[in-house]
Amino acid sequence: MVSAPRRGRCIVVALFLLAGFVVVLFRLFNLQILQAAELTVKADRQHRKAVSVQGPRGSIFDRNGKVLAINVDVPSVFGVPASLDDPSGVARHLSPVLHVRAGEIERKLKQERSFVWIARKLDPEQGRRLERMPLEGIGVVMEGQRFYPKGPLLSHVLGFAGMDSQGLEGIERRYDPYLRGEKQMVVLQRDALGRTVFPKGLHEQTPSTGHNVILTIDEVIQYIAEKELEEAVTATRAKGGIVIVMEPRTGAILAMAVNPRFDPNAVQGISADRWRNRALTDTYEPGSTMKIFVAAAALEEKVMEPGTLVYGENGHMVVARTVIHDHERMGWMTFAQVVQRSSNIGSVKTATALGEERLYRWLRAFGFGERTEIDLPGEVAGLVKEPRDWGRRSLASIAIGQEIGVTPLQLVTAVAAIANGGWLMKPHTVSEIRDEKGRVVVRASPQVRRQPISPESVRTLSKILEGVVTHGTGSKAAVPGYRVAGKTGTAQKIDPKTGSYSSNLSVGSFVGYVPADDPRLAVVVVIDEPQTEAWGGVVAAPVFRRVAEQALQYLGVSSQEPVKLAMTSRSEMARP
Amino acid sequence: MKTLTVIAAMALLLLYVWERVEIVRIGYQVERLKVKKVALERERDELQVKLSALTSPERIARVATGKLGLVPPERGQVILVDLKPEAPAHRGRGPTMLDVKLARNEPMWKVP
Repeated sequence: MVSAPRRGRCIVVALFLLAGFVVVLFRLFNLQILQAAELTVKADRQHRKAVSVQGPRGSIFDRNGKVLAINVDVPSVFGVPASLDDPSGVARHLSPVLHVRAGEIERKLKQERSFVWIARKLDPEQGRRLERMPLEGIGVVMEGQRFYPKGPLLSHVLGFAGMDSQGLEGIERRYDPYLRGEKQMVVLQRDALGRTVFPKGLHEQTPSTGHNVILTIDEVIQYIAEKELEEAVTATRAKGGIVIVMEPRTGAILAMAVNPRFDPNAVQGISADRWRNRALTDTYEPGSTMKIFVAAAALEEKVMEPGTLVYGENGHMVVARTVIHDHERMGWMTFAQVVQRSSNIGSVKTATALGEERLYRWLRAFGFGERTEIDLPGEVAGLVKEPRDWGRRSLASIAIGQEIGVTPLQLVTAVAAIANGGWLMKPHTVSEIRDEKGRVVVRASPQVRRQPISPESVRTLSKILEGVVTHGTGSKAAVPGYRVAGKTGTAQKIDPKTGSYSSNLSVGSFVGYVPADDPRLAVVVVIDEPQTEAWGGVVAAPVFRRVAEQALQYLGVSSQEPVKLAMTSRSEMARP
Repeated sequence: MKTLTVIAAMALLLLYVWERVEIVRIGYQVERLKVKKVALERERDELQVKLSALTSPERIARVATGKLGLVPPERGQVILVDLKPEAPAHRGRGPTMLDVKLARNEPMWKVP
C-alpha cells in the first residue's frame, strides 16, 4: 500500500515527465512537420558541397616516351584574416618555411578581406612542413603546376602553360584542347566533422585527365642539335641560330633547336622575342641555298644538264645597271660546278633561261610563299612576290636568294622533298595523342603535299649536291663514312638603319641531307649575324657535320664506306 | 508461431541496421583510401619529375664529362654493322640469339 504523500510525489514526477515529453513532442512537430521543407534544404546545403574540380593537364612525351612536360599538384597557402587572433605571430611561424619576410606576410594577413593568398605553387616539401604546423586561419590547397623537367631543352617547341593551366605557346597552345583536363562540378557529401562521406548510389564523379601528347622529337637528337648550335653561336659570337632535323620520308621533326634558349619553368619577365619559335615565325633572305631550287627547276624543265657549259664572266656581270659578283673569278664551268662553287652569275643565267613565270611557279611548287602547315602556332608564309610585282633586277636577285623571304622550316622541308625522291611532305611534331588509359585518340600519319619534281631530276640534282660537299663550298659539312648532299648559303642582311645590304651583318647557313643515297636526315643550320666569319661554309657547315655525325651514330645508321679502326696497339695485342 | 515471427522480424531489422552501419563504415574506408591514392599519385608525379630531370641528356653529359671524366668516342671507335639476313650465320655452336633473329626474317618455306 502506498502512502498518500508518496503517491502525491509520484504524480508530481509523472507530471514533470509528461510536461517534458510534451515540450519535446511540440518541438519535434515543429521541426519535422511545420519547418520540414525549409530545414531539409538547409541540411542539404550543409551536407553537400559542390566544388569545381579541374582534371589535371596531360603530359608531353618525346618519341621514346621520355617526359618533357608534366603536371604535379603543389601546395598553395592561403589565409583567412578574420579568424586570426595573432597575425604577427602566425607570420613569424610561416616566414622560415615560405622564405618570405615576416613583415610581408603580416601585411597580407592584416588586410580586411575574407581570403588572401599568402604564397602560391610552393615546393612539395614546403607543403609537408606546413601540414605539420597546425595554424588557425591558415589553409593549404593543392594546385596543378606545370613542370618542364628538362629545363630549356626543346623550350621553343613545347611552349608553356599559364598559371591556370592554359596553354600559351608552342605545343602547349596548339594542342591545348587535347591536353587540357576537363572541368567538372563535383558534389561531395560531408558528415558533421566535415569529412567526405562516400556518396549514395556508388557512382564516382571524377573529372577526366587531359590527353597525353607524344612528339616526333627525339630528346637525344634535340640535345645534340642544341648543344652544337650553342657552341657554334658562342664561337662565332653570333646573335643566335636555328637547327632543324627532319626525317625526309615522313616529314617528322626530330629536333628543332632555337638559340638563345629560355627556361619554360620561369617565363615571367622573359620577352616574347625570346620565346618566339623563330624557326617558323621569322623569315630571312636565304642567299645561295636558293640555288638548289633554281637548279631543280632548270633540270626538270630541261633548260640545263649537269654538263651544260656556263660562262662565269670572270666574276663580274651587269644586270639592270647593278653589278653581280662572284666570290671567285670563274670562266667556263659546267652547270654542276655553278651549284658546287656557288656561282651567282651562273645561277642568274640559269634563272634567266627559265624566265620569270617558270621560276616563280617552281619556287611556289617547293612550298615557298606558303605555310608548311606544321602543327605549331605562329607560322608565317614567307614572302615570294608575284612576277607582276618584280622589278628589273628581281629575277637575278631571287636566283641568288635575295628579294625572297623564307623560314628555316620551309627551307628544310623543301630540301627534304629532294631527299625524298621529289615528294614534298607536311612537317609535323606530334605523332600520337593518347588518353589517360593509353588508348590512341589521334595518330598522325605522314602526309604528302605534292610531288614537285621527278625522281630522275632528283637523282641528277642529288649527285650535284654531293659534289658541293666533296669538292665545293660545303666541304666542312662532310661526315666521314657517309655521303652528304647539301648547299651552303651566305646572305647579307638589310641594315635597318640604312635600308640597304649591310657589309657586316650576315646569315650563314647550310642545308642538306644524309646519307645521300638513302636519306635518313634532312638538316638545316642557320647562324644569325656571326661576328668572326660570314661564310655559311665556315660557320654553319661544321655544325651540320657534328649534328649529323652524332645523330646517325645514335640512330644506328651504319656507314657506307670502310672506316679506319681507331684501336690502340695495346688493345690489338690483347686480342687472341 | 507468434514468437518465431517476432524473432524473424527482429533478425531482419538487425540485419538491415548492420548493413547500413557497414555501408557507412566502408564508405569512410573508401574515402580514406581515395585520399591515400591521391597522395600516392602525387608522390608518383613528383618522382616522375625528378627522374625526368635526372635523366636529361644535358645532365648525363655534364656528369659523364665533368665527374666521371668520360669523353665522346673518337671517329672509328664505334663501328655500326648492318646485319643482312643473308649474312653467314655462326656454325657448329648451336643456335645463338643472332641465328634465331635471322631465321625469323626469312620466309617460313626457306627455313631448312
